[in-house]
Amino acid sequence: MAGPCFLGIDIGSLTVKAVVLDAGRNLLARGVQPAGYGGQEAALSLVERLLAERHLSADDVVYSVVTGYGRVRFTDADEEVSEISCDARGVFHLCPRARTVIDIGGQDSKAIRLDASGRVVDFAMNDKCAAGTGRFLEVMAAALGVPVATVGDLALQSQHPVEISSTCTVFAESEVVSHIARGAARQDVAAGVHRAIAARVLGLAGRVGLEPQVVLVGGVAQNKGVVAALQRGAGEITVPEDPQVVGALGAALYAAQKGGR
Amino acid sequence: MGTRYRKLKTAAELQRLMQAHYLEAQHLRLGRPVAWVTSGAPVEILRAMGILAVYPENYGALCGARHQAVALCRQAEAQGYSPDLCSYARTNLGTMLGGGEAPLGVLPRPNLLIACNNICGTVTKWYEAVAEHYSVPLFVLDAPFVHEQVEPHALDYVQQQLRELIRFVETTTRRRMRWERLQEVVDLSNETVNLWSEIRALCRARPSPLNVPDLFVNMAPIVVLRGTKRAVRFYRHLRDEVAQRVKDGVGAVSEERHRLLWDNIAMWHRLYRFYNTFAQHGACFVVDTYTGAWSQAVPGGDVLGGLAYAYATVLLNQSLQRRAEDMIRLVSEYNVDGFVMHNNRSCKPYSLGQFAIKRRVTEQSGVPGLVIEADMCDTRSFAPEAVNTRIQAFLEMLAAG
Repeated sequence: MAGPCFLGIDIGSLTVKAVVLDAGRNLLARGVQPAGYGGQEAALSLVERLLAERHLSADDVVYSVVTGYGRVRFTDADEEVSEISCDARGVFHLCPRARTVIDIGGQDSKAIRLDASGRVVDFAMNDKCAAGTGRFLEVMAAALGVPVATVGDLALQSQHPVEISSTCTVFAESEVVSHIARGAARQDVAAGVHRAIAARVLGLAGRVGLEPQVVLVGGVAQNKGVVAALQRGAGEITVPEDPQVVGALGAALYAAQKGGR
Repeated sequence: MGTRYRKLKTAAELQRLMQAHYLEAQHLRLGRPVAWVTSGAPVEILRAMGILAVYPENYGALCGARHQAVALCRQAEAQGYSPDLCSYARTNLGTMLGGGEAPLGVLPRPNLLIACNNICGTVTKWYEAVAEHYSVPLFVLDAPFVHEQVEPHALDYVQQQLRELIRFVETTTRRRMRWERLQEVVDLSNETVNLWSEIRALCRARPSPLNVPDLFVNMAPIVVLRGTKRAVRFYRHLRDEVAQRVKDGVGAVSEERHRLLWDNIAMWHRLYRFYNTFAQHGACFVVDTYTGAWSQAVPGGDVLGGLAYAYATVLLNQSLQRRAEDMIRLVSEYNVDGFVMHNNRSCKPYSLGQFAIKRRVTEQSGVPGLVIEADMCDTRSFAPEAVNTRIQAFLEMLAAG
């Protein structure tokens, strides 16, 4: 099954994501893999794997767009577009009623305001700080001695969440360690951690306003504890089916627009 | 892609002027006492009394531009000053306490200090530390914050302090105020300020003849040499060159596509590099709030009353409401498509409240804004990759609009 296709690549700090679309903008393939060192090689091997899955060759790729932190050094794509624009494009494609996008990735979180036509009208990003990111969650999961994939479910079991007051990841980690030392239940500490992330992210989102529909994407959107904590503070939040690849989907949609007929 | 930076012919003259100022302060004092003054101090009074004024803030900017500020900040931090303190203050305290590598030698030792709190509260404590270190007298001029309109009693209060300042300088230096000379200096000061306003207003042209790094570089004399014939001469030349650019349709940025407004102090450590990222996409900063803080003339009438008014109502001594209104006016006067705010870790009075101002400006003018977190001198507060992503996204947003 060969044919013209469009490729979107998102090189993040922790994972690389790729999406392949056909000429009708239907999904042909998607994939996620750990970024490794710099993400460049991981991105190339992921693309190769996805194309092979659908029996496509590099020549079938009409146009490709790269986004994410590794985009600047990635020279194998036709164009680079910022994560903000790609997130917006991907979310609006999936949820045309979306007016606020929250993306919690590995090393940053962003809030984006869209207008009725899906245009970005404002955005805010966290600055020089890992609090409110996937990295924060990883550090805390390690401190709690649970895998990052299940720390969210653990948090949901809590009846009495503890308060994590530090916004700094390093200080928050020592706070978690002291809670554990004082004998707090693991799920209560986990819930405190998730509330701390939510508070940080909602503070950021407040800068652009939380106009509904609010859509949450990025790797951390897969964590039910974060979703629940965000909903507690902001009401209804929509998480698309495959939230981690929405940026890559947006990149592929840009590629389809640029290289499309 | 636009070309990078279009150099002004007056650049060499500017460099000579500023070097001469620092050399004079170091080696050609001719018996004149040296005062360290804050950027919002009424320098006209000092000039009229034959005092040589130097500006640690301007010197801090110079250290920042020459990438020497961080080492000096570290010196101050090693003595216990917080890294959260203004980087101009840390640079100055670092030079004073630790020495080390600093441009153009260092500032000459002061004989007296004048700090006016119309720009921030930091200067009062910073200058106290300097006063203690050198055992020299300090005069603090208190300018009450202007919440809505400047109150007559506040103006009386400032004017009364200006009289005290004159007595303070007379007692400390045994130099007399020459009132006719004060009027001359104020007239020169106004001439300088009016030329600067004229130069800024020329940037309403499309394409704009100047980009904001041009304004930042060329503002040095308006701060440091305001009220001198040299400054007037320089700004006449600059005005003529800029007017010629407008006449010839020459823009600071080739293929100007987006006209932007800048808020807050420059990032001195990457002045051209930073704005070139925008220039390469045809984005030109045609106006800013910072260099506009020196475009207000001393009103006529009683000279001390005029000075009291001018120094009590400087930009940073005014409410957020007033600052938002200022930006909204600039957006319309300069036909601006978007604005970028430098959330400057050093400058608290300028940076706190920027998100509120941003919201107001966008609501009322319809143009989008971007906030960038950085510092005017301390490169440790600058994350290049993160900032580039924001700039790219903002430019994509402007291009899509």
